[in-house]
Amino acid sequence: MKGTSLELDGVSVQYGNTTALEAVSLSISAGERVGLVGPSGSGKTTLLRLLNGSVLPDQGDVHVSGSPLYTLSRTDLRRVRASIGFVYQDHRLVPNLQVSQNVIAGQLGRVSLLKSLRMMLFPSRVMVEKAHEILCRVGIGEKLFERTDHLSGGQQQRVAIARALFQEPQVLLADEPVSSVDPARAKDAVELLTRISREENLTLVMSLHNLDLAREYCERLIGLRRGRIVFDEPTSSIQESHFSELYRIGEGEMLADGA
Amino acid sequence: MRRQEDKGRSQEVQLLLAERPRNRFVRGSLYLLLALIMVSWTFGDLQVDELFSTHRLRNLNRFLSEVRPFPLHGKEWDWGVALSWAQEIFKREGLEATLSTLGISVVAILLAGFFGSLMALPAARNLACSEPFLPEIRPPPLRARVFYALLAPVTRFALILLRAIPEYIWAFILLAVMGPSAWPAIVALAIHNTGILGRLQAETVENVNPNPLSALRGLGGKRSQLAAVGLLPLLLPRGLLYLFYRWETCVREATVLGMLGFSSLGFWITDARARLQYDRFLFFVLLGAAVVLIGDFISAFLRRIVRKA
Amino acid sequence: MILCLMIAFVWAYSHLGLRGEDLHPSSGGLKVLGEFAARALTPALTSEADFVPEGTRPLLYIALSSARTTLFFAAAGMSLGLFLGIVLGFFSSTSWWAGDFGGVRRSSPSRILGRVLFPVLYGGSRVIINLMRSTHEVLWAVLFLTAFGLSNTAAVLAIAIPYGGTLAKIFSEMVDETTREPAHALRGAGASGLQTYSFALVPQALPDMIGYSFYRFECALRSSAILGFFGFPTLGLFIRQSFSSLNYGEVWTFLYVLLGMVLIFDWWSGAVRRRLAP
Repeated sequence: MKGTSLELDGVSVQYGNTTALEAVSLSISAGERVGLVGPSGSGKTTLLRLLNGSVLPDQGDVHVSGSPLYTLSRTDLRRVRASIGFVYQDHRLVPNLQVSQNVIAGQLGRVSLLKSLRMMLFPSRVMVEKAHEILCRVGIGEKLFERTDHLSGGQQQRVAIARALFQEPQVLLADEPVSSVDPARAKDAVELLTRISREENLTLVMSLHNLDLAREYCERLIGLRRGRIVFDEPTSSIQESHFSELYRIGEGEMLADGA
Repeated sequence: MRRQEDKGRSQEVQLLLAERPRNRFVRGSLYLLLALIMVSWTFGDLQVDELFSTHRLRNLNRFLSEVRPFPLHGKEWDWGVALSWAQEIFKREGLEATLSTLGISVVAILLAGFFGSLMALPAARNLACSEPFLPEIRPPPLRARVFYALLAPVTRFALILLRAIPEYIWAFILLAVMGPSAWPAIVALAIHNTGILGRLQAETVENVNPNPLSALRGLGGKRSQLAAVGLLPLLLPRGLLYLFYRWETCVREATVLGMLGFSSLGFWITDARARLQYDRFLFFVLLGAAVVLIGDFISAFLRRIVRKA
Repeated sequence: MILCLMIAFVWAYSHLGLRGEDLHPSSGGLKVLGEFAARALTPALTSEADFVPEGTRPLLYIALSSARTTLFFAAAGMSLGLFLGIVLGFFSSTSWWAGDFGGVRRSSPSRILGRVLFPVLYGGSRVIINLMRSTHEVLWAVLFLTAFGLSNTAAVLAIAIPYGGTLAKIFSEMVDETTREPAHALRGAGASGLQTYSFALVPQALPDMIGYSFYRFECALRSSAILGFFGFPTLGLFIRQSFSSLNYGEVWTFLYVLLGMVLIFDWWSGAVRRRLAP
């Protein structure tokens, strides 16, 4: 069966003295499209990073497809990570490589070091054509052999999405896919991600601070505020009051909030 | 249908591949360098296998047997004796030679820093023009135009010449001219490093943020005032970083230049070698290495202070 | 800081017993300088020696062939140095095993590897590259000369060892200083430490590494020429010989050949670095 379920079980994360997430439990079933909303510093990014195992929880457990992420062996963890595509806010591409190499790098998690050397330096025709196909799907097929840092911010984001897709993932995580591109492109990016997740039946979790986009494209919204879940409901039953609760400025936390 | 599509894609990829932006110059340079390396190993007459011939091994054996400290020749190794032997040499010649080596490097690098900064100003293209940091309002007279058109390129070329000739050759020639003192070594090091520091400083000047300077210039500041008030504070930290970084190299070179006959460590290295005292020879080589390591350490320490300030 | 530097200057100046008047060349020195400088524009094209033994090659042939030897020694030494630099640079770099890539399990045998073996390898190679670097190429050459006798391999090794150490130090610093975000991203997609090192960190440092290698090649050319002063058949040997037999025109010929080679490399490395810039 395609698709992977994700589960957080009483997870807390602390960075030094600040609590990023506190006792968060939720489960996302395969093929769901979920939006994480909330003010900045509410723990959205941390939650996403927990899901691909790049942040360690101080308490609680993360399960991917039923298996607990933090007791997996190194190899198994690599395999799980290889099946989770992550689109970062700042793209995190290698700037001076060709677009094709950045895309192909998505598959590194599945191959040995020796094979990856051949793949990155002398990619087979099939590989390159597959990269081209995916780049066409995200709309920049003609940039295949361009140097990545010669692309615009929006195009680089598409490369980042293409890299995540090249992993042949079952889950797609996206951290603020709209914040680093101009507003006209923001909608395109979110639409692209949802379209692909629908076509491939991928689980999609993205953090958004544009509430309109979140409501338009996600079928379920999770509201986070200061590391806690405020609401977790299907989009259809979300009211304006939910959002005002989320962005309410509480007693004396106007300046104290942050990070 | 599917096959048709694949074929189309494959053609398109080929087309993109043919049109991709390529850095032919860099690629060609790398191939050329690779070819050069291969040619040098094949035709360079490097005599690699000859190194293991019997007379080489005999040489090595002799060297290894004589490299033991003199009081221990033909005896069991004894740390106490070896150490007191080393201490003796260090007191007699080593300390003095170490201090001279450091002294030569310090005087040389400070001279180089001074002259290098001076030469950096006319070498910087943004300063060495008829209207630095401001747009030209009226065309300058022809003489000024020619002067400024030539100033930066000529200074830059002079800097290249200074650094293209190795210190050792400068010192070798200067020794014949100046006679034996520490000066030829110092001047040789200073010349070479002036060339290097001058270029580095010129690049810093060119990368400087022009806004405050154009404001100063707009107020009617003279070129020299610009340099003193506007540039100096901006250049000093970076200049000091470069200075300390080059000082490391200066210590290395100062050790070696002694081989031409100045009182640094190199002098004692050649001296010991000429007398076939291989034990003393090795001692001074190792002492040189220690001095260099200490120099590196001091330089790293000073650079950290500059970075923090 | 400036004050300290001035104090250092004064100390060094007085310690060396330097006197300003020694800076002025003596009359004999001036004569040498005059005669030497006079030939700057008229370098010799044929041998200037009074007596040329039968079978001696023409001067220009000697100049060019010693230039070739200089180049070959530099290239061979540099290639060996590059090899050492890449291998030791890898071990002297921390970013393929240390650093917070996240998601490491709380206890596992591979942690022991990361805690003990890799730091030991790292420390060991740091010590080795510092030892290689601490001795000047000329001193390595003299050391080999004394141990083995005159051999061209000694010249190559003498260049390769200190250059290898320096390249290793600079390479590892360049790789360790690149931005880590792309590496984190690949790590998150399941790539191993070595894979992220090779495909996220090294590519970002590569332009700098290539530029620096070209620059060091130019330095190797100078070092190789200098080694001639110790008997190797590079340009330095002939500069020394001609200078001591007062054939200043010949000295200029050799100097111009060396200068030409260095200038070509200076231009070349500059051109490569400009084109590698983003």
